[in-house]
Amino acid sequence: MTHMILFSTPIIGPLEHIARNVLDWIHTHLGLTWAWSIVALTVAVRMLLVPLTVKQIHSMQNLQRFAPQMKEIQKKYKNDKQKQNEELMKFYRENNINPAASCLPMLAQLPVFISLYYALKQFSKHPPPGPQDFSWLHFVPNITWHTNTFWGGYVLLVVYVGSQMASTLFMSATADRTQRILFMVMPLVFVFIIARFPAGLVIYWVTTNLWTVGQGLITRRLMPRPAAPEKRTSRTPPKDDGDGGENGAEPKEPSPKPKPTAKAAPPRRVRRKKQAGRR
Amino acid sequence: MNAVLRVPGYLGVGLVWLYRVTFGALFPTTCKYHPSCSEYAIQSLKTHGLVRGSFMAGWRLLRCNPWSRGGYDPVRPR
Repeated sequence: MTHMILFSTPIIGPLEHIARNVLDWIHTHLGLTWAWSIVALTVAVRMLLVPLTVKQIHSMQNLQRFAPQMKEIQKKYKNDKQKQNEELMKFYRENNINPAASCLPMLAQLPVFISLYYALKQFSKHPPPGPQDFSWLHFVPNITWHTNTFWGGYVLLVVYVGSQMASTLFMSATADRTQRILFMVMPLVFVFIIARFPAGLVIYWVTTNLWTVGQGLITRRLMPRPAAPEKRTSRTPPKDDGDGGENGAEPKEPSPKPKPTAKAAPPRRVRRKKQAGRR
Repeated sequence: MNAVLRVPGYLGVGLVWLYRVTFGALFPTTCKYHPSCSEYAIQSLKTHGLVRGSFMAGWRLLRCNPWSRGGYDPVRPR
């Protein structure tokens, strides 16, 4: 009852209602079990959000491509934060970079996820009456049970942690090491909270995470990460042939479509090491 | 007295932190502005208090849409 009072706000209430009705519709009309209906509903929501997330992944990749030059700008103006940002924004404009996904569409996802969350929670507390099939894939006997009350639930929790970490790896765009580590550790904290949730909700989390991972893999496959523009290092002496001059001029006018030539073997090795470390 | 007046603002800051460690961690993203929207919210709440700070943060969120250019956008000093 307190739950109803606390969370059936004028905004979440109707949204929750819609999510529940969609779940009912999937179960009745598509003939799926309740557990598979949850999976189908999650997939449907994620499909609707595809244009948004794909755009986000693309802009992230684009941003990573220019990371060496952006770091150079940051280093150059490290004492003058304002100048540094001005230069960065100028760099974005010159190279036609859309800095990153914007916050508003990301926040727009929140009501969808929150309503799904509450719909599933309510569903698990008040399942439809009569003999129903609440099992899933033989190891979850009942999706309305709390996850930590049966052995299959622990399997589900392990899958949850793995999938959450993997999806963080794909979606986290921050280059800040501490923040990345924090994001990676979060699932280990969440798991203690989620263990007390009904198994149906965990199925939802696992599905949405696996979708994120799959989407990240496919987007990367379809749009392979473009080669980064060559980085100017003080250690690499300019070569006598035409490439050397081009290399020297590049940081001033970085081309949006860089054509790396064969000569940049040593700096390239350095860059690869850095990327491996960051991942 | 001044410290007491700041309490609501800091409650708002706490909420932003809560967002950061929950949904922010679940749906990590970057912002097209600098400072990022959540950082802007924290700064505006600290500088301008709960009411004005919340409005400023809300207005920034509305500006952080696919059609805006983004860029350097610090919180105005009080």
